[in-house]
Order: sequence, then structure tokens, then C-alpha cells
Amino acid sequence: MNKDNIDNYTPDSDDTLSKATSGEYKYGFSSDIDTDIIPAGLNEDVVRLISQKKGEPEWLLDFRLKAFRHWLTLEPPTWAHLDIPEIDFQAISYYAAPRKKEGPKSLDEVDPALIDTFNRLGIPIEEQKALSGMAVDAVMDSVSVKTTHRERLAEMGIIFCSFSEAVKEYPDLVRKYLGKVVSYRDNFYAALNSAVFSDGSFVYIPKGVRCPMELSTYFRINASGTGQFERTLIVADDESYVSYLEGCTAPMRDENQLHAAIVEIIVEERAEVKYSTVQNWYAGDAQGRGGVYNFVTKRGLCRGDYSKLSWTQVETGSAITWKYPSCILAGEGSVGEFYSVAVTNNRQQADTGTKMIHTGSNTRSTIVSKGISAGHSENSYRGLVKVAKNASGVRNYTQCDSLLLSDTCGAHTFPVIDVANASAVVEHEATTSKISEQQIFYCNQRGIPTEEAVALIVNGYAKEVMNKLPMEFAVEAQKLLSITLEGSVG
Amino acid sequence: MMTPAKAFDQYIDLCGQFGAPGASPLLQEINGLGRSMLAEAAKAYRPDPAEIDTLRPDAMFATDYGINLMRVGMPVDPAATFRCGVPNLGSLLAIVANDSFHPTEALLRNMPEGLTVCSLNKVPAGLQHVASQVMRETLEGGGVAEALNAAFLADGVFIHAAAGVKVDKVIQIVNISAPTVPMLSLRRVVIVAEEGASLRVLLCDHSQTAATPHLNSQLVSVRVAENAAVELYDIEEDTPATNRHWTLDARQQSHSSLTVNSTCLHGGLSANRYNINVEGDYAETSLSGLAICGGEQTAANTVTLTHSGKHCTSRQLFKNALFDNSRGGFGGKIIVRPGAMFTDAEQTNRNLLADDNARMTAAPQLEIYCDEVKCSHGATTGQLDERALFYMQTRGIPAAEARTMLTQAFMVDVIDNISFEVLRQRIHVLVEKRLTGAAASCDTCATACHTS
Repeated sequence: MNKDNIDNYTPDSDDTLSKATSGEYKYGFSSDIDTDIIPAGLNEDVVRLISQKKGEPEWLLDFRLKAFRHWLTLEPPTWAHLDIPEIDFQAISYYAAPRKKEGPKSLDEVDPALIDTFNRLGIPIEEQKALSGMAVDAVMDSVSVKTTHRERLAEMGIIFCSFSEAVKEYPDLVRKYLGKVVSYRDNFYAALNSAVFSDGSFVYIPKGVRCPMELSTYFRINASGTGQFERTLIVADDESYVSYLEGCTAPMRDENQLHAAIVEIIVEERAEVKYSTVQNWYAGDAQGRGGVYNFVTKRGLCRGDYSKLSWTQVETGSAITWKYPSCILAGEGSVGEFYSVAVTNNRQQADTGTKMIHTGSNTRSTIVSKGISAGHSENSYRGLVKVAKNASGVRNYTQCDSLLLSDTCGAHTFPVIDVANASAVVEHEATTSKISEQQIFYCNQRGIPTEEAVALIVNGYAKEVMNKLPMEFAVEAQKLLSITLEGSVG
Repeated sequence: MMTPAKAFDQYIDLCGQFGAPGASPLLQEINGLGRSMLAEAAKAYRPDPAEIDTLRPDAMFATDYGINLMRVGMPVDPAATFRCGVPNLGSLLAIVANDSFHPTEALLRNMPEGLTVCSLNKVPAGLQHVASQVMRETLEGGGVAEALNAAFLADGVFIHAAAGVKVDKVIQIVNISAPTVPMLSLRRVVIVAEEGASLRVLLCDHSQTAATPHLNSQLVSVRVAENAAVELYDIEEDTPATNRHWTLDARQQSHSSLTVNSTCLHGGLSANRYNINVEGDYAETSLSGLAICGGEQTAANTVTLTHSGKHCTSRQLFKNALFDNSRGGFGGKIIVRPGAMFTDAEQTNRNLLADDNARMTAAPQLEIYCDEVKCSHGATTGQLDERALFYMQTRGIPAAEARTMLTQAFMVDVIDNISFEVLRQRIHVLVEKRLTGAAASCDTCATACHTS
């Protein structure tokens, strides 16, 4: 290509770009389910009401109130590379529960509309899907509606239930671990969640137990004008193992919905937790109307020696994502991993990444982040690798790549590396590029149309992360990736 | 706790108590502009959380230093301090003593046609508008540190190469700090290379006191016109009593080339900021720097490189070797603006932590708004290769010497960015001396300003 050609170059796939910018959001239905919603607004009475509705003990109400009072002193964070329209926290309803007095005893008792909802989502809540060997806790709007396989897990001493049940049945365990990794003072959204969280999942894997199946939670915001504030707490005791999956969807709505969750994970000696997320909240339409604001605090504490925590996330949804799944590597020789694919299209904005805080000696962490931006979206990686003064022999490797699929999108990288120990080896590398014309040309030449070629190349680009996902999720994630980027190629 | 803006209150008060110190209408005008902007800029100031806290402007300027507003001369004649001259460098030498400009005889005698090197108080009438415009631009794009510099600026250096003038010799500006009381020296350098001109400038910072704390706030503006080339070298040979706040504001036009290389050998706190705007097309930018820190020294390089033009190439390479309790910082941001197609930008930061108490903070960042680009960055922090050390010891090289050799080798590619042969060799020697602990002395030092 000579210089003139380069100057006048326009990608021939521009047509494809304009053809179809949005893959259809197949989860964009809302279910007509009888819902118990409390009026919009937030004050101490609302916090008390939530606590009362859930029949919570005094200590938990205290925790909520302390969090709420602290939240009042905070301002929403503005440091992220995000343009967040002002959120009216008084216009949101902080509790919406499918109206059920008693928890269902079997699937027959579950609202058929709800079952239909989950069937349409394709989540394996039914018996046939249960045979596929996955235990599911489905959280709709704010409360947990169904937990499968509990009995079988209970035989092994594994606790997998909704957060509210855990508060009632295992109050000591919950009290011991709640807020120990993500304090209610942590940040604005963590304080908000701590004050108003309505449900979530609780997992406890006892000593030496290897969880025989993948545990899964499916989150769905259904009612309009509500926020979802769930809380997940996972405790893996010594030498245990669990793989946990999380999926998220929401119906298409014009207004923005808020999702501010907390995930806390505690990993004891030689235990291993694998946490995978496929996030597909409604992302808003091509003009950026509607969509979910996904402001999530996720953090794990590798407290025991030689423990391991692995985060894998595929982020394709949400209008705005503000999410940094992190690891505190305190135990000697503990390992933290973060594998992420974040795709943004149209007007989506994502500011996501991780923090690896090495406070233990000989701890290791790996970060692989793949950002893909298209349309008019903004996609940022933000990360911190911190090596404390007394943590010797620390090793970190970070790789963050960005792929740009249009000339109107943005791809940014904001890592911070802070090393205070001379024996640490910390590496960071990042590249930004677009799909090369040669690659497309090569595919075209072999009879592969441009659009398919792009899907092929993007999937290859994200493969390193996709490979870390459990099988069931990998297939869905791969499909999501193609749908999100359908036609967005330029 | 004091809010960040409060740190600048003393300077705002000082503006009310003393008149503008500039001795020429040009500097008076800049003083006035700086003063009118200072309060607003202080209010708008937000510390960068990724920056080392002691190097933030609100921390550095918070100390109550004296400013030489009465223009009291130095007790020692700077020309006398410089009796040994600069052997072999063949440079056009000027001295800035604390904050006052002193041209040398050699400079006045050897000044080539089309080159102007003078005090900002004595800019020739025909070039006044150039100096004024550049200083205004820097102020408008700057923050509180720039406003502060302008508000109290009494003197400075103006370097101008007319269109097509290629200056072979190096223009060397030696900044000498010899304060007798805690002092803030405000320094200003304006470098303009008109179309097709080329310039090489060497800035050396030397402090002669390790007893009296002082802050040097130097603001350097560089304008590289079409087809022009500027090489800017900066050496810091200060003492633990020196706090250095150094800012570069550079703008490049089409087909221009800018090389900036910085060497920090000794000092207290050194904050080096590089703000570079590549406005034209087909421009080339090379930024590199090394810092060898020991004791309680802290040094950080913060780069904001903005690509607005098409087909531009930029390379950044910054290395730190940190010993004892020292701290190193690197903040690098490449911004590729919409439409800056075919940008090829690369940023590398490598750090050696040689002692347990040393600490390194790196924030290499990319902000990209354009798809037809090639951008990459890499940052590593680690130690010398144990196998290489072992190998050298098996060949009879003592451990300490092997370490010095490997550290020196680690720095080589930064020094190799210096295209000026004589200077490159001298920096090699200086780095070696620094690593072996030998004091830089007149016979080997590139700047030879020490009188002992």
C-alpha cells in the first residue's frame, strides 16, 4: 500500500458496520410476576423496613444502619473514565420481591410465570437441567427465588442457599464473615449495598471438601424502577474447592436501572475458589437510552497459605460498568488470577479491571484483560498491582490488550504498579490495535465473509480468557460475544 | 489537614504585598498574567492520586521558601565559580545562578548568525512577540505551577533559532543553586526552533549546597516548527537539599522531531513533568530518561504525550535504579485524539529495585480515541538477573562490581538515545561514577561546575 492509498483508505467493511449495529438482546422481556415493591426513596425507615421484611436479627439491622449513616457522608466516585448521568437515589425502589409468602418446596409450587422466565433465559433451573450437574440459586430483582440441589450438597456439608436463609440458619457463620473483605466503609456503592442489600447467595465449603458440581447464581432485574443490591458471600475452608458461576440479565427498559452488588470471598489454607461471571445486563439501545448501571464491588481474601482465587469475567452488557474484582493475597504462596473480556458497543461505557494486593510472601498473580470496543463506546482497563514491603518473592504478570473496531470508540488503559519490595518481579504490558486488513483479507480470500471473519478473529483474540470459563458458560459467552459485536465491524 | 489549594495561599498573599518582579515589559506582562490566574488555578488544582504524594505541587510548594523578589545578587560571582569551563564539549555556555541569567564571554563571542540566546528581560524587539506568545500558550494550557512560575518570574532564558538555521554547537544552560537561606528559584526557558531550524540544548542542574533546603521550579517551553528539530538534554546533579519541580511544555508541528533525554544522578525530590503535544503530521518524538536514586531520594517522571496529528511516531523509554530508601515514580500517558490516524506510539518503563526499602510506583496509561493506531506500553519492576551475577562471579568478578556492571548495562539503552557523541560518553562515565560512589569531579564531569 503506498502512502496515497493509506491516506485515502477507508475500511471496505463500513457497509457492514452500518448494516446492523445491534445484535438483538434476546433477554429483553419482562415477566408479569406479582411483585412486592416498597415505595421509592431511601432513609433509615426504608432500611429498617427492608430488615423487618426479611425478619433479620438486631445485629444485621445495626450493620445496615451503620452502613447507611456512613453512606450519607459519601459522594459518588468520579475518578473512573466514565460519564455517569446524575443518579437520583431517592427515585429508586430498594426492595422488590416476587410475592411469595413461603419459599417453594418443589418446582411445582413455583409461580409458572417465573419458571417460564427462567426457561426463556435458558437457565438450568428445571430438573432436566439439574441433571446437567449444576446447583442454581436464582435471584430475581432482589430476592433469591430458588436454590436447587441443596440436599445433595448438604450431605457433604456444603451450604449453598440464599443470603436471607443463611442469616436465619447460619447466623454465626454469616456474622463472622460479613463485611470482613468488603467493609461498608469501602466505597460509595459498597456502603449503599451494605445498607439496602436484599438478598444474594451464601456458600460455605467445609474443610477438605471438593464441591462436586458447579454452583451458579442467576440474577435478573425484572420490576421497573427498582435497583438490585445483592450480596454474595463465599467461604472456602481449608483444602476445599468450589467453582461458582454468575449470570446476569435484565429486561429492555428506557430508564436506567441500578445494580450495585457486593461479592466477598474468603479462601482459607490450600483452598481454591473459581468465580466466573457472564454479565449481560441490558446495555441500552444504539442511542444509549436505558440500560443497567452495573456498579459492583467484588473482592476476595486469600487468607490461608497456598490458597487460590481465580476471577473470570465476560462483560458484554450494562450501559455503564464500574467493576474491579480484586484479590488480597495475604497467605504465603497464595495465587490470584484475573481473566477478563470486556466488550462495549454503541454507547456503552466500561471501566473495569482488578486489584492484586500482595501482602504475603511468594504470592503470585496473573492478569489477562482483553478489551474490545466498537461503536461509540468507551472501554477502560484500570488496575492496581501492589506489593507490600514485607511481601518477598512476589510475582505478577499483567497483560492488557485492546481491540478497536471503530474510529469513534475509545480504548484506555490505566494501570498502577506500586512495588515496595526489592525481590518482587512485576511485569505489565499492553497493546492497542485494530483488526488488521491483512487478517480480514486473508479470511475473505478463503471465502469467509468479513463479518464472520471479524467474529472469528475476535473469538481468537478472547480465547485465552474464554478457555478459563467452565464449559457451560464458555458456549454462552462465545455466542454473546458474537451477538454483541454483530455488524459493529469497521 | 490542609486542603491542596491552601498550599498556594502564601503565594497569593505575596502577590498583594510585592509588585511584579520582571525587569522588562515582556516579563511584567507575564507576571501580571500569572498573578491574575494564580488564585483561580490554585482553586482548580486537584492532586493526581497516582502521583507520589511528596512530589505533588501542593506538597512541594507548601514549604515557606524565600523568593528573591528584591533581586539581591549572589554573594559569589557565577563567572568566577566557572573558571574551569567546559572542556571538550565546545558548547555555547550560559549560567543561571539561582534565578538570574549570566551569559559567558564564549557564548557572546561565538553566537552563530540566526541564533539568539539571551535573558528573557533582553529579548530583541523583533522576537518579543514570539517569546510572549509561547509563554502565554504555556500559561493557558498549564495549571497552578505554571501560574506560580509566571507570577514571580524575574529572569529566564530565551533561545531562538531563525528559520533554516542549524546550530551545530550545543547550547548549554547551567543552573547553579547556591542559596544561603531556604529559597525558591523560579526558572524559565523558552526554546523556539523556527521552520527547518535545528537546535541542541543541554540543561544542567547543579546545587552547591547540601545544607540549605531549596526548591527550583523550572518551566521549559519548546516549540518545534515544521521540519525543525530540537534535542533537549537535561542532567540533574543536585544534593539531598534540592527539591526540583521541572515542567516541559512542548509542541510539535508537521515533520518535526523532538528528542528529550533526562539523567537524574543526585538530588532530593525531583518531579519531572513532560507535557508534549504533537500537533502536526509525520512528526517524531523520542523521550527517555534515567534516574539513579539512593539515600532518601525521590524521583519521578510524568509524561502526557498527546497525538493530534496523523502518521506520527513516538517512543518513550524511562528507567530507574533505586537503592537504599529511595522512591521512584513513573506516570506515562499517551493520548491519541480522534483523527490522529496511523499513530505509532510506544512506551516502556523498566525499574530495578536494588534494596529492600526502595519503592517504585508506575502508572503507564493509554487513552485512545482512534482505531487506526499502534500503541503499546510495558512496565516492569524487578532485580538484576541472579544467573548473570553468578556467571560473572564464576569468572572472577566480585559481586559488587558485577552488580555495578549489570546496572550500568541496564541503563545503556537510555543513554544511547543521546545522539550527541561527546555528551553520551560523558553520561556513561557519570553513571559509572554514580554507581561506584565516586564523586563527579571536574576532569570527567560533563558540566564541570564544581570548583573543588
